[in-house]
Amino acid sequence: MLVVEWSNRWFRSVALIAVILFSAAACRQSAAAEESIDFEREVAPILQRRCLACHNDRDRRGGLSLQSAKAARAGGESGEVIAPGEPASSYLLDLVIPHDETAEMPKGEPPLTQQQVESIRRWITAGAVWPEGVVLEPPVLWSLTPLRRPPAAAIAEQRAGFPIRNAIDAFAAAGHRKAHVEAAPQADRRTLIRRLYLDLVGLPPAPAAVEAFVADDDPLAYELLVDQLLASPHFGEHWGRHWLDLARYADSDGYLGDAIRQHAWVYREWVIDAINQDLPFDEFSIEQLAGDLLEAPTLSQRIATGFHRNTLRNTEAGVDLELYRTKEIVDRVNTTGMVWLGLTLGCAECHDHKNDPVTQREFYRLYAFFNNADEVTAAATRPWEKKEYERAQQSWRPAWEQLVAELADFEIDELTDEQKTEIEKTLDEQTKATDLKAIAEYYRTDDPDWSAMRAKVEQQLKAKPVAPSTKAPVFAPRTKDRRETHIHIRGVYNRPGEQVHPGTPAVLPELQPRGSTPDRLDLARWIFHADNPLTPRVAVNRIWQHLFGVGLVATPNDFGTKGAEPTHPQLLDWLATEYRRRGWSRKAMIRLIVMSSTYRMASAVNAVPGQQDLGNLALWRQNSLRVDAETVRDVHLAASGLLDTTIGRRGIRPPLPAFVTEVGRSVQWPVSEGGERYRRGMYILFKRTVPYPMLMTFDAPDAAISCSRRERSNTPLQALTLLNDPVFYECAQTLGRQIAERHPDPDDLPAATDEIFRRCLARPPAAAEREALIAAYRDLHRLARQGDEAIEPAHDPHRAAITAAVRIVMNLDEFITRD
Amino acid sequence: MNSHNLHAHDFAQATLNRRRFFATSASGLGSLALASLLGEEGLLAGDPPAAVTHFAPKAKRCIYLFMEGGPSQMDLFDPKPRLNELDGQPMPESLLQEIKFAFIQKESARLMGSPRKFQRYGQCGMELSDLLPHLSTCVDDIAMVRSMHCEQFNHLPGQLMMLTGSALQGWPTLGSWLNYGLGSESRNLPGYVVLATLGRGLPGGASSWSSGFLPSQYSGVQFRNQGSPVLNLASPADISRGAQARSLQAINELNRLRHERVGNPEVASRIEAYELAFRMQQTAPELLDLSGETAATLAEYGLDRDEAAQSDKSGFLGSYARNCLLARRMIERGVRFVTLFLSTWDHHSNLDSGLARYTRISDQPIAALLKDLKRRGLLDETLVVWGGEFGRTPLGENRANFKTVTGRDHHPYSFSMWLAGGGVQGGQTLGATDEIGWGVAERPVHVHDLHATILRLFGLDHKRLTYRFQGRDFRLTDVHGDVVDELIA
Repeated sequence: MLVVEWSNRWFRSVALIAVILFSAAACRQSAAAEESIDFEREVAPILQRRCLACHNDRDRRGGLSLQSAKAARAGGESGEVIAPGEPASSYLLDLVIPHDETAEMPKGEPPLTQQQVESIRRWITAGAVWPEGVVLEPPVLWSLTPLRRPPAAAIAEQRAGFPIRNAIDAFAAAGHRKAHVEAAPQADRRTLIRRLYLDLVGLPPAPAAVEAFVADDDPLAYELLVDQLLASPHFGEHWGRHWLDLARYADSDGYLGDAIRQHAWVYREWVIDAINQDLPFDEFSIEQLAGDLLEAPTLSQRIATGFHRNTLRNTEAGVDLELYRTKEIVDRVNTTGMVWLGLTLGCAECHDHKNDPVTQREFYRLYAFFNNADEVTAAATRPWEKKEYERAQQSWRPAWEQLVAELADFEIDELTDEQKTEIEKTLDEQTKATDLKAIAEYYRTDDPDWSAMRAKVEQQLKAKPVAPSTKAPVFAPRTKDRRETHIHIRGVYNRPGEQVHPGTPAVLPELQPRGSTPDRLDLARWIFHADNPLTPRVAVNRIWQHLFGVGLVATPNDFGTKGAEPTHPQLLDWLATEYRRRGWSRKAMIRLIVMSSTYRMASAVNAVPGQQDLGNLALWRQNSLRVDAETVRDVHLAASGLLDTTIGRRGIRPPLPAFVTEVGRSVQWPVSEGGERYRRGMYILFKRTVPYPMLMTFDAPDAAISCSRRERSNTPLQALTLLNDPVFYECAQTLGRQIAERHPDPDDLPAATDEIFRRCLARPPAAAEREALIAAYRDLHRLARQGDEAIEPAHDPHRAAITAAVRIVMNLDEFITRD
Repeated sequence: MNSHNLHAHDFAQATLNRRRFFATSASGLGSLALASLLGEEGLLAGDPPAAVTHFAPKAKRCIYLFMEGGPSQMDLFDPKPRLNELDGQPMPESLLQEIKFAFIQKESARLMGSPRKFQRYGQCGMELSDLLPHLSTCVDDIAMVRSMHCEQFNHLPGQLMMLTGSALQGWPTLGSWLNYGLGSESRNLPGYVVLATLGRGLPGGASSWSSGFLPSQYSGVQFRNQGSPVLNLASPADISRGAQARSLQAINELNRLRHERVGNPEVASRIEAYELAFRMQQTAPELLDLSGETAATLAEYGLDRDEAAQSDKSGFLGSYARNCLLARRMIERGVRFVTLFLSTWDHHSNLDSGLARYTRISDQPIAALLKDLKRRGLLDETLVVWGGEFGRTPLGENRANFKTVTGRDHHPYSFSMWLAGGGVQGGQTLGATDEIGWGVAERPVHVHDLHATILRLFGLDHKRLTYRFQGRDFRLTDVHGDVVDELIA
């Protein structure tokens, strides 16, 4: 350790000496070059690119701006930084000259090159002349540069194996050339159909569909498959679930109360329908942000505003309600920023954004848009609920009418017509047994059979269907007692600062309000302003992310200075303009991308032997992705045939052990019955304090904050879940039973393993795989026949061993991976 | 090392990340020998991970004894003779302005003294109430902080603040931060385990051990203290041990064939995860098997007491004592962070009997845990923290519908917590409250300061342990926190 430190120090001194010697030499040189230094050509670009991001008139880090001559001469908090003619006393040079390959400035970035340092030194030596009127502009964040449609990349040569099918491929091919990588071959048809199914509808293909596609030599087969999947009602479920991540959708309030939001699902259903109908992304967004403000909004447009009703809510006794109300609004601003603008506005809640051009004042001007949205409900009983009710009534009514007829036998004799009408009316409106009291005197209640009669009536009344009355949580404009908005000093809600009015950040196009006071609808339309460069980039990047696992910008919610830069800027911009050109059609963009050769490449890391770039930044292959938590469940249910494909509607509660549900306060978890138990993962009721463990184990978001990119972890808890979770085991047993019945003969094992593979993985096993599985089957058959000290011998060892074989395949990496 | 470079966002590797549940693993790809694993004891410790710390760490592991609900400090740790004298008097009005309560009616509220007898114990002479006879024998290892304070008045915001440093849901808990910063040392168990003895449930449910915005592998894993310790740990009822082993072998064999075919490192991780899962199946039940513990040890924790065998709510002692003993066993097996929740100390009414009950449940096992750790030489590197989300008011709670005043309301403005082991300077009482126990009079310690101090004990600078999320580098201590040097030995 000591040696290292010493040698480090030695190195440093050597480096320092070298710098000094070099500087001295440079000084002599610079005398000659003095006359020729050109500020605008040689110095300004350095300042602009390397200094102005922080040292501009707006941010003035360390009190210093280098935008103009005046500001530069004024210096910063440490005084003057430039002493004209005296490089040795110019603090600026001290800061930028690297020691040990690092320099104080630019902070946190690679130091200036020797040549750049020299240019600055020469400029100072020559008197630091800053021509009159020259004002430098700070660098513009790439994502804020105007969106222009780049010309499609030139296609140098069509490489065999990577046909240029559309513009995406031309851009990707240009990237391949630039990175000197070779594109992976196109994936085989079995991989492609499974990939398309999992990406577009989130379900695996049925074996028959796979075989039909593999056998189909129509050149349009792939395209037809794409169209078929885009038209599937399950498309809206899968892509709806992506959107629900952003909407931080949950079925409960969160925090201590964590009350169930009985009708939150109405919004979920809206999302699924809207995506299935391919509601253009601009309308889709505007309705969610401000559907209530549209002219004569439809119920559907009002339901859409449920997007921002998904925030956490704290209702604990004694809690500061105003604090948590403001936190909900802060969350709405942050979410709006991340989802549509790719801006981390949240950083400006307490102070001006440290990296991106958003001030605290601008944050609260955005906040003001949401400060006058009232939280109300909309009567939203769904047509299917009404039908369900009618059906229930129809099956209830005959038994009731029969009882009413039986009741007539108990009537006392001398009833007037009036009284008879009263009975009729009362019985007709019956909802509960206690209502009967009013007419009890008209019956022979001392009859020995009366109590039995009464019990039957009571029971039937208890079963009486209740008319649905669904109330969707929505926004409504606040008309009375409208709130003023103030800056919260240091983000503290009860330290009001300057009053602000609704408005948008200055770096983005100007807001064009309809009236004198801009409202949410103006904000929503502004987000889709033709000159707003962020929205289309952010939106199309997310579509890409869902089809490749990683976005062209790896930080989908942060297109700011600290976010990732696009790996393919031109491709991103081309896609962004294309999205708008195609009328914001989500389906059109997905279709465009999945039709490309780029999408269709093989995903194996070794698809091109010896190729580096394992991170696949150059997009030379597809990515292989573990499917999302909900899909992990869905592939099990689908492969076993248990899946209930009902779309939308209320959530379900699969069975859970008590120790899981008991950790929350008074958690009721009435388990769903019948086929409903086998609905898709996205319908599992999401209670924020007691999230369904399987979903969390596979990285479903916790719905506390908007989530634009899920983790994809790979853990032993996942292995334990796949191995032992009762739902997954039931799937293995179900499929095991089917296969054992179809292949009862142990000599039929190759066919049985073949079918297991086809049902689960959409392909037959390779020879080595078949052998391995059959060998396992034989051992498992023997073990099942024998039993052990804890387990009885199986009465049907064939079925037990086939089930175990299915369980093995359902535990393979490939089963829960989209290749 | 002058920077703690732990950003998980290595974008280039986004799809290749070999996410891990255990930071270390002794078994390499394809090295699985199930037969030997079946016989393996699974006790402790692979190689410790090459953790990056900013300072020499004193603590390696932590047992956090979380007292849900807010225990009453003036009846346990902070005697207030003046309060006893003023029993039944109104509060000075100046103190009541700006203060809000969950249930107390300000106008008619009266101060309430404590019936507890306090006495000095140990060489250090620490004062404790008569409710803590067992803990009184450990005071020389304990640093008592009487000057804790916070702003969070309600249970869940208070608990989230104490557990995550933020009153809002969605932030990572302390245990997640430590596992993220230091990794896990356990081969066979998760690095962050939670055991709960629950009255009416935890206000935050699973958020109480959530990894928040940190990757999910840093989340706490809830264990049961009986039966099968982890959800889905047990194989399905009709799968024998042999069948499970044979199935695992086939799964990994087939996954290896796939790995050869596609070369994707995620497949290798999957194989490793299955090996670890299988090892966990073998070893985790052993964790719960107390048959190897001596009768003396079981008795020390109170597991020989009659009430320990009862399974209803009066059997809490059994559950809590078991959890304390299991915490030691987990620490021995390299678990980084163990949280034991005990719910609930929320004594709005029947404070005296409530406190008597909860101290009867917890006093003996906690003292036993401290002594047991010390005897085994584990206390030096094991930090033990005791505390709730806040304390309770010196005012009696005169809730509108209460016939008599028998309890206290929530009080975040001053309360007590204690720490022991893991490099903590024991035998001291730090800070003081004013004479009626309303506010902090000396050496205030905010929750953020406590967090900064805990991280420091683990060798971490709370300002440098960061995670980038939504464009910001987040910390456990947000933008606050000062290390309390007096607490560090």
